[in-house]
Amino acid sequence: MTRGLWDRETVALFLIAALMPLALAWLWAGGAEAAARLAAALVISGGWNLVFMLARAQPPSLGGAITALAVAMLAPEEIGLARLALGISFGTVFGELVFGGWGRNVVNPATVTLAFLGFGFPAAPWPDFVPPVAWAAIPAALIGIGAGVMPFGVIAGSALAGAVALAAGLPVAPVVPVGGLVLVLLVADPVSSPTTPLGRWLGGAVYGALAALFAAGWGGAAPVQICVAAALLASLAAPLLDEIAIGLWVMRRRRRHGQG
Amino acid sequence: MGFQGILTAAGRRRGLVLAVAAAPSIDAPIVERLTEEAAVVPLPGATPRVEILAAEGEVVAAGAPVARLRHDPGIRFVAPMAARVARVRLLPGHRLGEIVLFRERGGDAVSLPVPKDAEAEAETLSTLLHSAGFWPRIRRRPFGAMPLGSERPTAIVVMACDSRPLAPDPVRGLAGREEALARGLGALKALTAGPVFLCQAAGAPVLTARDAGPQVLVVTVGPRHPQGLAGIRVHDLCPAEIDRPVWDVDAEDVADLGDLLATGTLPQTRIVSVAGDAMTEPRLLRCQIGANTRGLCYGGTRPGSHLVLAGSPLDGWPSHWLGPRDRQVSVMVDRPPPADRHWFLSALMRTSRPRPLIPSAALVQATGGAFPAMAMLRALAAGDDETAIRLGALSLIEEDLALVDYVIGGAPRVTDRLRALLDRAEAEAAP
Repeated sequence: MTRGLWDRETVALFLIAALMPLALAWLWAGGAEAAARLAAALVISGGWNLVFMLARAQPPSLGGAITALAVAMLAPEEIGLARLALGISFGTVFGELVFGGWGRNVVNPATVTLAFLGFGFPAAPWPDFVPPVAWAAIPAALIGIGAGVMPFGVIAGSALAGAVALAAGLPVAPVVPVGGLVLVLLVADPVSSPTTPLGRWLGGAVYGALAALFAAGWGGAAPVQICVAAALLASLAAPLLDEIAIGLWVMRRRRRHGQG
Repeated sequence: MGFQGILTAAGRRRGLVLAVAAAPSIDAPIVERLTEEAAVVPLPGATPRVEILAAEGEVVAAGAPVARLRHDPGIRFVAPMAARVARVRLLPGHRLGEIVLFRERGGDAVSLPVPKDAEAEAETLSTLLHSAGFWPRIRRRPFGAMPLGSERPTAIVVMACDSRPLAPDPVRGLAGREEALARGLGALKALTAGPVFLCQAAGAPVLTARDAGPQVLVVTVGPRHPQGLAGIRVHDLCPAEIDRPVWDVDAEDVADLGDLLATGTLPQTRIVSVAGDAMTEPRLLRCQIGANTRGLCYGGTRPGSHLVLAGSPLDGWPSHWLGPRDRQVSVMVDRPPPADRHWFLSALMRTSRPRPLIPSAALVQATGGAFPAMAMLRALAAGDDETAIRLGALSLIEEDLALVDYVIGGAPRVTDRLRALLDRAEAEAAP
């Protein structure tokens, strides 16, 4: 009879709260230019949410703000407002809104946007981050895990993969700070990451392993480019990893309970 | 946690503590209160076809049959107290609606002859249970209805713990009745070829493994909701399937069964908690089965309108009568529904159904980590019956997912989707 509050918008609010340290550190470092970029991304993403509310009766979501923040932080620099608008429109509409809005999407719309911009405008330089911004990913992850809105397994799995890569002597050190940012902003998104505990560990490990592989073998790529590509592939693998985890779970149960 | 923990996030401590209202304190005195009115009602959602055995106006003894099943006349519904039959309400097709009884003071209680081999012989025992009116206290899974008279389950789960908010501690109703419980457990063993599980809370064991007898498996259950729900335990211990039914019975009823075997009389009272935010203070009562819920909370409610629910605040439903398995009454403040939004806003917001689900730790805790929560909820939302059944949906009924509904406030309700799935599966399995 009574109703609780862990619906979509509550989760979105907690995610925004978790990303606050990161956003504030980035705004402090980037100044007015960063603020303008974030405002533009928010307006474009919000505008498409509004269009889909009016045309398709899909309630808008605060999840759009998370997408906007991720895109504003990670998108290539010096591409101009028109190209940014084009990229965000593509990512938001085809990554999220055509599937029915935030919560029904298959891949993270910010990942789609960034991949689109990266492939579409390869000459544009990818952003660099000052150390305080990269460090801010740690409190963001802690708040997200503590509030239960970021999957612990994904973050732990990719941290593990990163540690293994470092220990194995791969040249991943320059990618690690950006890797943490992308992990918090794109990969640890509860919707498009795996949902089973084992799937989450695997998903995190796939992201970490792909980032390490690209860092070692993809000459001339910027750290953000490497991590976004790894995030895109990892989120595409998420349903498969979930399926593997569920298959193992069912198999184990069947062995325990006979027919079960 | 181990490997299994990585696969399912399982663990005894998974779950949530809900602060709905004050529950009866652990050592609250048990007050005897038989209500003046009571009713014989079927399990919620079930409408068995019956034949009435006691006409309106007739006086019946406690435990005397008032109705029997049409397709299996051995199975009786009995009066929970010495009473005069006030009103018989049948639904179309001779289906049992309710049989209202007025209490008669100083009436008798029926005593049945107990055959010597009742504790060992399944046939004799089930006949005794049918005629004593014990059968409606048993619930079978899948589907959550009363079992057929001839059914033999693959396992029986006896619940000596209850994690629902405001629920009475079953240990209170079992204090001093350990012998009867052990006798009842021994008898249940005769009804199944499989195991009998006794689930009890950690820290408050009712029976030790040795006292429970050689063939009863004692299971320790975590304290948080939903760990102490029969469905979660069945899902964990012995998943139910179409051709492998599993029964669940409350431990207090099993102790009643032990008394029936010893004396020939089935006790008709039980411990019931009456609590909720509309009660001035929670009560722990001993009352008859089918008691009038208004009578139980009479004199203890706060001013203002309130809802009286049979069952917990999560899965209860407004009812005049306690059902054959209910052990709690929740009296909640009746809050007016939120004001309607402007029609234009509603039109823009309301069409997105089912509402998207976002995985969060709260959701995993709300399922007790018993199964891959998101996969199950997505399968239910999408109507993917095959996947949901593969994940164990047939072991569950509405009350097991009530906490999920509470936590996510989704629309349509997950419990309704589960019921729809069970109905489809039942229709498909019907001969």
